[in-house]
Amino acid sequence: MGVRKFRSVEEMPGLQRRQPLDPENLRQAFGLASLAAGLLPIRYTPGVRKFRSWDEALLSREERARSARRLRRDGF
Amino acid sequence: MMNLEEAKRILAVFAREGVEYVVVGSMAMAAQGLIRATRDLDVFVSASAANVERLRRALKSLFDDDPNVDQIRAEDLAGDYPAIEYAPPKGEYSIDLLARLGQAFRYETIEYEEIDLDGVRVRVATPTMLYRMKRDTVRPQDRLDAEVLRREFGLKVE
Repeated sequence: MGVRKFRSVEEMPGLQRRQPLDPENLRQAFGLASLAAGLLPIRYTPGVRKFRSWDEALLSREERARSARRLRRDGF
Repeated sequence: MMNLEEAKRILAVFAREGVEYVVVGSMAMAAQGLIRATRDLDVFVSASAANVERLRRALKSLFDDDPNVDQIRAEDLAGDYPAIEYAPPKGEYSIDLLARLGQAFRYETIEYEEIDLDGVRVRVATPTMLYRMKRDTVRPQDRLDAEVLRREFGLKVE
């Protein structure tokens, strides 16, 4: 595939949208997740963690993914 | 990693116990036709004491009476900790509970639709709701998702 350039993200073609509320959508999403998990396994510490905001929870999630990437890169 | 069967098992028990929830996040995006890899289950829940009790009962029934579930409290969700992450004992995924987002969103304000997943009726946030929730969050990915939602569903920017 060749290179296409865009002046902004808004101009970029988005994900191919499927029919909303089709159960097949979730089958495909979890199939993709299985592939992602194979490429970058993430371990969770069992238990409960509390956050003062959703943003704080999302940042924690991103940090966990970064940590998994570091471990992967370092060969663990 | 959470797979489809595990997600269905969880959501079927939520339904059986009468948990007031709406799926948001990447699983809701996928349900609405925008396929994304979905590692975790993000759910908006009512922070009422009765609902959190139902939620704890559902989670205990799903995860061998895990005592960690007792740390999920209505006073936290309704108070200083509106977001709670629960990772079951095997440590393979998390269920992220959200009771409030900024000042605008509570369970009672979340518009949802239902998807039938092999007999399990699953409540998922509407595209408009997902757009509103994602457009002002901190992650660039969420802002991109918001833009995709706006474009694909022809949403009017408020």
